[in-house]
Amino acid sequence: MRIILALIKKEFYQVFRDRNMLRLIFLLPMIQLIVLGYAINVDVKNIHTAVYDFDNSTLSREYVKSLSAGDYFDIEYSEIPLLDINSGFKSGQYDAALIIPSGFSSDITLRKPITAGFVVDAANANSAAIAMAYAGQITAQFNNRQTKAGVPIELRQKRLYNPEAESVYFMVPGIVAVLVTMITVMLTSMAIVRERETGTLEQLMVTPIKTPAFIFGKTIPFAILGYVEMSMALAFGILWFNIPFAGSWVLLYGLAFVFLFTTLGVGMFISTITATQQQAMFFAWFFSVFAIMTSGFFTPISNMPDFVQYITYLNPLRYFMAIVRGIMMKGAGVAELYREIFAMITFSAIIFTLSWMRFSKRIE
Amino acid sequence: MSSISVEHIVKSYGDIVAVDDVSFSNESGKILALVGPDGAGKTSLLRLMCGLLDFERGEVSFGSINLRYDFEEIKKLLGYMPQNFSLYPDLTVEENLKFYAGLFEISKKEFSRKKEFLYEFSNLGPFRKRRASNLSGGMKQKLALSCALIHDPKILILDEPTTGVDPLSRRQFWDILKKLRDEGASILVSTPYMDEVVMSDRAVFIHHGKKLTEGTPEELTAMYSGFVYTLQVKPTVDTMEALNSIEGIVARRFGASIHIYSDNLSKTEDISETLADRNIEFSSLAQIEPELEDVFIQMMGN
Repeated sequence: MRIILALIKKEFYQVFRDRNMLRLIFLLPMIQLIVLGYAINVDVKNIHTAVYDFDNSTLSREYVKSLSAGDYFDIEYSEIPLLDINSGFKSGQYDAALIIPSGFSSDITLRKPITAGFVVDAANANSAAIAMAYAGQITAQFNNRQTKAGVPIELRQKRLYNPEAESVYFMVPGIVAVLVTMITVMLTSMAIVRERETGTLEQLMVTPIKTPAFIFGKTIPFAILGYVEMSMALAFGILWFNIPFAGSWVLLYGLAFVFLFTTLGVGMFISTITATQQQAMFFAWFFSVFAIMTSGFFTPISNMPDFVQYITYLNPLRYFMAIVRGIMMKGAGVAELYREIFAMITFSAIIFTLSWMRFSKRIE
Repeated sequence: MSSISVEHIVKSYGDIVAVDDVSFSNESGKILALVGPDGAGKTSLLRLMCGLLDFERGEVSFGSINLRYDFEEIKKLLGYMPQNFSLYPDLTVEENLKFYAGLFEISKKEFSRKKEFLYEFSNLGPFRKRRASNLSGGMKQKLALSCALIHDPKILILDEPTTGVDPLSRRQFWDILKKLRDEGASILVSTPYMDEVVMSDRAVFIHHGKKLTEGTPEELTAMYSGFVYTLQVKPTVDTMEALNSIEGIVARRFGASIHIYSDNLSKTEDISETLADRNIEFSSLAQIEPELEDVFIQMMGN
């Protein structure tokens, strides 16, 4: 026990002496949170919409007004002739155009089917789809108001868990998971490889230290830093981005503990296949990017091709990502997350055991 | 009973035999020097003795403990200092000591007593708050030795501890070793310096992984057969070639001068005549008593 404590203490001395390491651990995550929190914004707002109202009636104006009510559409009566609307799209002045034909109001009151045109710049397919969905929704509501008895179907959509569809609510929990992964994998692998690089490992091997003590001494400090990292990211998300935290803190921190076995294990494994800190950093980076890409952090897993989806099942970060988001956004508990929890425990156990075995073999 | 015993060790890396059937032993209270040029197999030998390398054949034991069967017990007896400085450069002198004290589970009270003792003989006391990376070469080696001594090892294995260290620090380092020896430690030290061999109790010469000979410095010096001359001449490649082409003599660079070895030419005149015959100009020539290095060179030649 004293041996492990001596190792842990030494590891912290080293971390806090190294300015670059400190920056990596404390500054980088904050920058990442701010930049990613704001930059990865998949909300569609302020869609610049050119309006061509050929009806020019109270009713048509009312319709336009209903579109501009939220902050989704930025409505402007266009000065560009309708035939030239392409130039407005190309220059980026407009994202969409709404064309209301003459006879709009008379047809509607006569309960004749009417059409209005909505053209969207779909260069960004994602935001185009969202814009069209908004427009459809607003139109349905408007229709309903006008025709009352005529149209029995009322389209009512409701967003659960994230009513304002704030992507930052979704991204920050993801970033929490990403940070824990990157920092712990990188620091663990580098710290072990550094011992080999500087020759201190050889010196340690002639002291009565046993392999388990060495492994715990080298991983516990980074597990602690992983927790610090996670807490900082959570505090920042909650205080700065006002992200709600719906679920159980205890469950989140408990499951993070399980997940740490995965990343510490991977870090250990990387240290057995690399000889320098630089190589370790490269491998840690490669692993992290791969794990993040297939975790559902950016792209929903259901949007991935089938064979990639199968690969994601092997990625422990996928489960942790689902767990962090589930707990934070939906207040999910063990009853809802048991599949992810089970998969994560299994993977963590396998990865940590294999790494442990490989590491022990390498060191003896 | 000898405290360090190495018997018929064989260690190879693939086809290359690094250590070839080497045996030696050392008693408590003695310094044994392991001497040989770079690549002789010194480091392999020391590392395998510390359990850091596997070896194919032979036995290593410390006292009655065999390395193969009770490595954990040996770790408690053994202090090892690798060839390259291998402490934590970003920790201070005292933090390094404290870390090793922790690894050997030395109590706080014991450590504060021990550390003052180590500071005293290493003269590192004034630098206790300095980071190891900012120490001079000699001080680094003293710190490494202090760390190796933290658990009062009965056996010390030091791999070229003074290579690249200034002469004054080297002397101080050896004074420490002698003190430890007088307290009863059994010390095995590898070195490329013959003047350090003279300060040891015994020496083992190794070359190409094989043991050439062993003995006390006096015994080793007495092993030289033949005559040695020192020659002052510009040691160009041509001169060396011309000298070595002469039947019956061997010439080797020796610092700034050249040593000439001969089995039968017993007088200075014999040499000067031979050199005159070959039109080799020189500024001075004299017969000298063979030194340890001459012994070593002769043995390597055979």
